[in-house]
This record gives sequence, structure tokens and C-alpha cells, in this order.
Amino acid sequence: MKSVWKQPYFVIGFVILAFFLVGSFVFEWVFGSDPKQTYFIYENGRVVQAAPLPPSWMHPFGTDQFGYDMLAKIMLGAKYTIIAAMGVAAVRMFIAVPIGFAIGTYWQKRRLLINSFIDPLHYVPMTIFAYLMLYPVLWEPMEGFSTTVWERIIIQVVLMAIITVPIVSSLIGNEANLLYHEEYILASRTLGASRLRIITRHLFPMMREKLFVLYGQQVVETLVVFTHLGLLYLFIGGTEVSYDPMFGDPPKSIAYEWAGLFGSSFRYLQGVPWLPLVPAICFALVILAVAAMIEGYTRAVSGKVKIPKRKKVALVSDDTIKWNQQQLKEKLQVLRENEIR
Amino acid sequence: MKGFSKWLLQLVVGFIGILLISGLPILIMGFQQGEFRWKEYGEHLVILFPLSDFLDANYGPHIGQYIIYSLEILFLALIVATGLAILFTILTMLCKERTRQRIKTVFFFLESLPDILIILLVQLTVIMIHKNTGIFVSKIAVTGGEKLYFLPVFCLMILPMIQLYRLSMLTFEAEERKMYVELAKSLGFKKLIILLVHIFRNAIISIFFQSKKTMWFMLSNLFILELMFNMPGIMLHLRDNISGEVFLITVCSFFLPVFLLYSFGEWYFVRRLNRGGAFE
Repeated sequence: MKSVWKQPYFVIGFVILAFFLVGSFVFEWVFGSDPKQTYFIYENGRVVQAAPLPPSWMHPFGTDQFGYDMLAKIMLGAKYTIIAAMGVAAVRMFIAVPIGFAIGTYWQKRRLLINSFIDPLHYVPMTIFAYLMLYPVLWEPMEGFSTTVWERIIIQVVLMAIITVPIVSSLIGNEANLLYHEEYILASRTLGASRLRIITRHLFPMMREKLFVLYGQQVVETLVVFTHLGLLYLFIGGTEVSYDPMFGDPPKSIAYEWAGLFGSSFRYLQGVPWLPLVPAICFALVILAVAAMIEGYTRAVSGKVKIPKRKKVALVSDDTIKWNQQQLKEKLQVLRENEIR
Repeated sequence: MKGFSKWLLQLVVGFIGILLISGLPILIMGFQQGEFRWKEYGEHLVILFPLSDFLDANYGPHIGQYIIYSLEILFLALIVATGLAILFTILTMLCKERTRQRIKTVFFFLESLPDILIILLVQLTVIMIHKNTGIFVSKIAVTGGEKLYFLPVFCLMILPMIQLYRLSMLTFEAEERKMYVELAKSLGFKKLIILLVHIFRNAIISIFFQSKKTMWFMLSNLFILELMFNMPGIMLHLRDNISGEVFLITVCSFFLPVFLLYSFGEWYFVRRLNRGGAFE
């Protein structure tokens, strides 16, 4: 296996991801956790522009309708979004891998039944499923939240991880079952290896790379579900709802995470296009970064992606050639022995 | 007959699975109060019986229209996506190896664009065209009773098309390395003829089997599409009247047609394969 750090795709993806993640913490450390607010721009003592300000040198991503700097909001929110997505994918893999291996080995006789239970899950759009499950947790009730932000984030991560565990584990199960019928595993079983030993010694090492790729795909999928949930006003860490009948604010995100930034501003696309567009592009950048890392990793573990060569045309089969070589070797040995004598 | 009973088992088990899932929100509804509502969950599981009462209460003619509209968009987009994906595949297959690799890399990164960004960009483009030239390409949101087809189908088909394109490229390239292509080449057939007549027929079966995953992926996109275009489809209806019953109807309205389509397709292709002796 070549080092992943020699793969340009992996390095580019890693740099983008690290920029957002490290940058987010550094930004909060340097500028504090409140974004800069600009209500008006004055020129010679006269107001020339009022918030929301379009992108300019002062505010590269513009400001929102309350004058908060979008760049600051994006940088502050990056850590919640990225860490939450990575957390969901990690918890999901942690639960799904053991179940998947169990389906592929211990319960392989019942695989058809298990699979036909899991199959209809594919027809439930993940977003709707997540929305149904998360709504009671994340939507602020009339009397206010009874949980803290961190409790809600943890519950959200675990719930979002669990809802696709069946799909991921059936995927791993099918893959493990394919490997289970390979000849070398048959040999190992004949020699008396237990199923646990086959899993730890053969199946897991064989599938390690695939599992890493699967983890990356799960991160991407989670990010996409976050954007969808944002459109439905369910934000990471809960949605602040104003129940004031007269002057109710629109639903607000508690942290500046991206799903909230995108979801709460989508309606202003026509008038203030940079408000929804900036978080959407940032989502796309992070997803591209993860995809690039996956591609780089795959290239590193499978060697350079080569254009497959045509099969060489041989008039004699490989076995015949091997047999010939064997014969030749024996003849040579006999000759040499004769010489020594 | 064994195949049929297996099929029936899958269908019934699938139904039970959907029923169990549809009750889950009821189970955790009491989360803020810190309790699980097992009793209500149990009650939900028997709402289907008797079936006629359930349908009377939850299935009005307007729901039928929502379902039909959603399915129309879904299948139109699938057909367009498949057609374009295969067309692009054949065009790329005619290129040289190096160009092919480059095109594939570009498509790999295009595939990872999030659907919301694509919809946003399409809507923005329509607005910009309207502002600058005054030509009104299409409405960007449904208002009133009319239905929108062109723009939603266009948005919905982009990502599945890229996915299917990557998939069919892989299949076509695997087929290209087989012996019968070599034979056809040595007999002097042109590349296009070999692609269209020989490789295509073999590749389409494999593409069909794998397109099921694309279908699942499209369902999630369809939901977001109905939301962003404010389309009167079943998904939007579900968002507005969220309950176990509507959820059950929504999921079944996608599960049944897609399940039937793919079962039929599998049966048809497997029969054809067996008769040809390719699997024996």
C-alpha cells in the first residue's frame, strides 16, 4: 500500500476539510463567538447602503438581514456541521459493522428474511424518516426545551446514526457473505476455525479498506440529510421557535451551523441570493473534499489506477507453459548433477 | 412456483416492515416529557384493519392526484436520466482511453454535488435569464392549481443521470474486454455497431439491476424537490399532515410500483438469460 499522502486528491480534500475545521476553532479563539454586525454603510455622513449588504471587500460573503457578517457565521458554524456529520457516520459504522458481520456469518441462513425486512427501508426517503424521528427532539415546544444543547446534539447524532444502521449492516452482511464462501475461508473452516476467528482474521482485514470508503460515503450522506433537514427547519442542536402570535421571528438555529444558515434563508433566494447560496456552496465544498479523500484513498490502496491491458493471446494454456518450465528445470538439474559428477 | 412464493414473502414482509416503521414517531412523540408511548404504538399497528375503514378515512381523491403527480415526475425523470446516461456512455466509449479517464474523473466530482445546490443554481439561472433578457423559461414555483413538469424533471434527473452514467460506463468497459467483442472486431465490424448491437444488449441487463439503488436515491431528492418547488405532490402533503397513516400511504405508494416494476424486470431478464444459456 502506497502512502495516502502521496495522492493529490487525498491531500486536497484533507486540506479543505482541515481548513474549515481548524479555521473554525481558530476563528472563534481570535474573533470571539459573535459575528461582526454592520447595520449601515456611511459615506460622507450619509447612509448609502443598509443590511443585507451584498458581497464586497469588507464582507466577502455579504451580510444577512440583521447585518451579521456571513463569513464569520460560516466559519463559526463549520465545526458543528462537520463534527456532527463525522460523528453520525462514526456511530453508525460502530453499530453496523458487528451486526453486518453477524448477518454475513452467524445468521446467513436467515439472510433472505432479514434482507426482505430491510428492503422496504430503502423506499423511505432518509430525510422524511429523520424528520419524523427528530421532530419531537429538536423542535422547541411551547414551554421551552427540557434538554440542553449538548444533550440534543448527542441524541440527534445517535438517532440519525441508528435510522440507517439496518441498510448499512445489510450491505456489509452481503459483502461479508460473499467473502465467506471464498475458497481460503472454506479451507480455514475445514481446519476448524471458529466463525469469530474467521471474522477477525479474514473478513475484517479483507474488508477494512471497503469499510473506510463506506465511512466516507456515510459522512457525505449525513451532510446531505443535514441540508434537507435545514429546509424543514430542523437544525443541528435544536430549533428556536418564537410562539409570539404577533411578532414571531422565523425559526432560528441555536448555533451558526450551516443547515440552519441555509434552511432559514432559502426563501430569500430571489432578493438576496448570497444568503442561501454561500452555505450551500460550503456544503458542496466539504462534500467534494470528502469525495476527493475517498478517491485518493481508493487509489492509494489499490495501487495506481491503470488502464487494463488486453489479455495476451497465447496458443498454449498457462498450465502447459508451467509444466514445460518445470520439465526444463528438472532436465537442467539432471545435467548439472552429471557435470559435477 | 418457488420463485412466486419467495416473491410473495418479500412483499408481505416489506409491508410489515413499513407498518412497523410508520409507528415509530408515535413511539418517541413523548420524548420531551421523557416517556416512550408503547400503548399508542400498539394501537397504531392495528389501524389497517378493517382495510376499508382505513382507506375511507385516509385516502381521498386528492391524495390519489398527489400520488399520481409525484410518480409522474419520478418516472419521467428516471426515463430521461437513463436515456441520457446511455447516450453519453456510448459517446464516451467512442473516445480514446485518455479522454475517457478525464471525463470519468470530472463526472466523479460532479456526482458529489448536493442536490440543493443544483436546484438553487437552476432556479437562480431561470431568474437571471428572466431579469436580463425578459424570456420566461419556466416558473420556479408552483402557485395555484397548475402543475409544473419541465423544471422539476430537469432538476431531478441531473444527479441520477450522473450516477447511472458512471455505472453504465463501468459495465460497458467490463463488457468491452470480453472475447465476443474481440471476435466482432476481428470480423471487421465498426466500433459503433459493436457498441450499439452487441455490448448494449448485454450491458443493459446489468444496468437495470443496479438502477434500483438510483431509484432509492431519487426518492430523497424528490422530497426536497417538492419542497423547493412547492409542488402539490404526496411528499409535500406528508410534510403538512405528518402522521403515521399518511406516512404509511406515502411509502406504500412508492414501494408498490417500484417493487412491481423491478420484480417484473428481474423475472423477465432472468428468464431471457436462462433461455440463452448465459448463466448455465
